Amino acid sequence: MRFLSIALAVARKDVRCELRGRELLPALAQFIVLALVIANFAFDVDLVQGPRLSPGILWLVLVFAGLVAFGRAFAAEKDSGSLEAMLLTPAGATAVFAGKAAAAAAMLVACEAVLLPAMAIFLGSPISPLVVGTVLLATIGMAALGSLFAALAAQTRARELLLPVLALPIWVPFVVVGGRAVQLAMAGQSPSTLPLAGQPLLVLADFDILFLVVACLAARFVLDD
Amino acid sequence: MAPLAPVTAVRASALVQRFGTQVAVGPLDLDLPAGARLAVLGGNGAGKTTLLRMLATVARPASGRLEVLGLDAVRQRDRLRARVGYLGHQVGLYPALTALENLEFFAALHGLEPRHARDALALVRLAPLARTRAERLSRGQQQRLALARAVLHRPELLVLDEPDASLDAEGRGLLGGLLEGRTAVLATHDTALARDLCDRAVLLRAGRVAGDPWALRVVGG
Repeated sequence: MRFLSIALAVARKDVRCELRGRELLPALAQFIVLALVIANFAFDVDLVQGPRLSPGILWLVLVFAGLVAFGRAFAAEKDSGSLEAMLLTPAGATAVFAGKAAAAAAMLVACEAVLLPAMAIFLGSPISPLVVGTVLLATIGMAALGSLFAALAAQTRARELLLPVLALPIWVPFVVVGGRAVQLAMAGQSPSTLPLAGQPLLVLADFDILFLVVACLAARFVLDD
Repeated sequence: MAPLAPVTAVRASALVQRFGTQVAVGPLDLDLPAGARLAVLGGNGAGKTTLLRMLATVARPASGRLEVLGLDAVRQRDRLRARVGYLGHQVGLYPALTALENLEFFAALHGLEPRHARDALALVRLAPLARTRAERLSRGQQQRLALARAVLHRPELLVLDEPDASLDAEGRGLLGGLLEGRTAVLATHDTALARDLCDRAVLLRAGRVAGDPWALRVVGG
């Protein structure tokens, strides 16, 4: 109960700071729209190709937006000394980490709220509830891992370089499985028609549970040691 | 029955902190009775901040033994943190939050009710600025707010690294009240302030105790 209330307080604080400071979200929204415009010209997307290329473009943009969102989660607090102040309370590093990961996930969801409609407009992508569900499901695990590596990178000087080097390879499973699920959904097929072991949504849920547990277990050692 | 307060607040033996191969502090022995106020003096790079960071459980010692308030500062640091207040070089505030919101947030992390935040704010005479964002406070007011955060949970031991930084005369006058009834360790370059606030002192040079400037009860390594 205390763990949850602390995580909630940390997440609420992060979201409140972002809403007031407006440092990250406007820049990320611009990045997303620009990335889609570039993709539109680079791939010479038309209404026929658009839906076919959409899953790849979606994950590319999401991954890079995630790197920016998660990179900020710990770096700013580390530089200002507020991370140290938080860790010196009896709150516990794991609860602090969970709150910050939840807030970073909320930022990524806000990015997705811009990305998905923008894809429908620029690329003619068919955005169904299944596409939205798949992206949200992938966001949980990506946020857990991204925040863990962001916490690790924040302790170093080369943090801007280290975060992509650490996070991108570990996000590959989400991109592979999420890409497959979005591909099926955009083609109008339900992933549930596949055999149970090959259902991408189930695999994504498994990844979420695995990486959430791993990130929470590792958070204490990353943040407080 | 409540546990008895330890007679010795800080006990360090052969305490060492290293950064790479360089010894930053120690070997150092220190005994500080409960209720005492120790000033840590010394020039730049003497090891004051490093020593204070170990006492506040921010940094783990490289070797040696450190007991704070009867608890092992490494193995029992989670329990210890509820009883220690620390102010470092950085104020560590959230610029977008108001003064009160900053303290309420830290009160939540300590498991305290929001009224403790108001009490702490009043203690540093920032109550009229409760609704002002931290980014709009002057540097001295931010330092006061950071001091309020350090005493928010009514710690038994207060560890303050140059608490007088950016404080005006009124702000410096508040420090005495904040230390009252507590064991305190503070690092400062201001010998007069140290004399005003502390009943003992230790002079550090190159991480070692170079002497006791006031010939008080500090055991040097």
